[in-house]
Amino acid sequence: MDFKSFRKKSFVDAKKTIRESVGEDEYILHAINTIDDLNRIANLLTKRLRDWYAIYYPELSMNIEDHEAFIKAALKETRQGETMGKDLDKKDLEPILIFAKEIERLYQFREELKDYLNDVTKNYCKNMHYLIGPLLCAKLIREAGSLRALAMMHASKLQLLGAETALFRHLKTGSRPPKHGIILQHPLVGSAKEKGKAARAVSDKISILARVDYFKGEFIAEKIKADLEEKLK
Amino acid sequence: MRPFNKNFPNVFFDRGRLWTKSDSPQTFFEERIIRQGGFYREWDAKRSKLAAALLKNISQIGIKEDSSVLYLGASHGYTPSFLSDMVSKGHIFAIEFSPVSGRDLVALCEKKKNIAPIIANANHPEEYKDIGKVDIVYQDVSQRNQVEIFLKNCDYFLNSGGFGLLALKAKSIDVTKKPKDVFRTVRAELERHITIVDFRELEPFEKAHGFYVVKKK
Repeated sequence: MDFKSFRKKSFVDAKKTIRESVGEDEYILHAINTIDDLNRIANLLTKRLRDWYAIYYPELSMNIEDHEAFIKAALKETRQGETMGKDLDKKDLEPILIFAKEIERLYQFREELKDYLNDVTKNYCKNMHYLIGPLLCAKLIREAGSLRALAMMHASKLQLLGAETALFRHLKTGSRPPKHGIILQHPLVGSAKEKGKAARAVSDKISILARVDYFKGEFIAEKIKADLEEKLK
Repeated sequence: MRPFNKNFPNVFFDRGRLWTKSDSPQTFFEERIIRQGGFYREWDAKRSKLAAALLKNISQIGIKEDSSVLYLGASHGYTPSFLSDMVSKGHIFAIEFSPVSGRDLVALCEKKKNIAPIIANANHPEEYKDIGKVDIVYQDVSQRNQVEIFLKNCDYFLNSGGFGLLALKAKSIDVTKKPKDVFRTVRAELERHITIVDFRELEPFEKAHGFYVVKKK
């Protein structure tokens, strides 16, 4: 075959492969990445809003620590008591309120995305979803690259996903090895007294469930979760 | 603007930087193009290990105007786009595993008429055995078994007398070892199978990278 016709065929093949490479893994990846970005951005914008809003009603920002609650209160506009804030003209106040509305919309979108992620993971890896919830599910899949990679992974590696810096520092300099990576976000690990032990037990179970999910097995997470809670009591 | 070295077709040198003369000025990369009896594209040695190797005065790479090249680890296609200028009468088979960077690669190949994009795993040469024999095997894949992959592909596709070019990332073979030690082990490993023509470390352009030129008997 001459190069010209080979090239023609290779375009068709390459485009097909690229098209078909997309699956649930990609949906999950983009959703969780977007959620993370939204968190960061909404946080940053709310800080800016707090500064700006303070010229109008500084006491509000001082009294409400939670970002989302602050935005809700700011939009309701309950200015009361003696305030350091300046009475703003409508035209000077309006942009602040529009800004607040936009941020509220971002938070709202984040919640919608979380619902979406919940649906996708529940459908794609129902066992893991039951034990660790959609967010941790998505983060583990992101760290591993795909559900397939997660299923093929040793439980001990899964345990340390997200702790690579500490792991390689350990290998290089012989410092103390890490006991857990992002798995620490699981309540059974996070609240355990012996975190290393809990991390090991939980990652073992996640590993089993990832395999069951990847090979489209049955729903066994309920029993596994009960075992795990019994073990870590 | 003057020819860089007679061993490297269509590569030019000007103001301390490398350039290739190109018929297709419009690539999606943002390099500068200047006119001087044609279009020249700047070849950034910080982004391309081949360019870095040239600037480190590598003696020869065996690439001729009409070479056919197998390129493993084409990624977004930065280096292949310049290689495509060098082999103006030849052609390139660009292999990339990741479908994500594959999108950029396909888009580039639409502009460069002598590159064929292939989404495949360089670990499994039988996936793309249709390409037949080539004159040059270029590899830049950053895998732990990159030497094994390289030798396998040279064995499979390289004409006798053909050149193999290996950009080696020491850190993907063993992060805990010193790059120099890794280079030494790799050299011994390569020498068992194939003749080594030249070697350069790519400092300061790339950290802990080496560039091997080998020739098949």
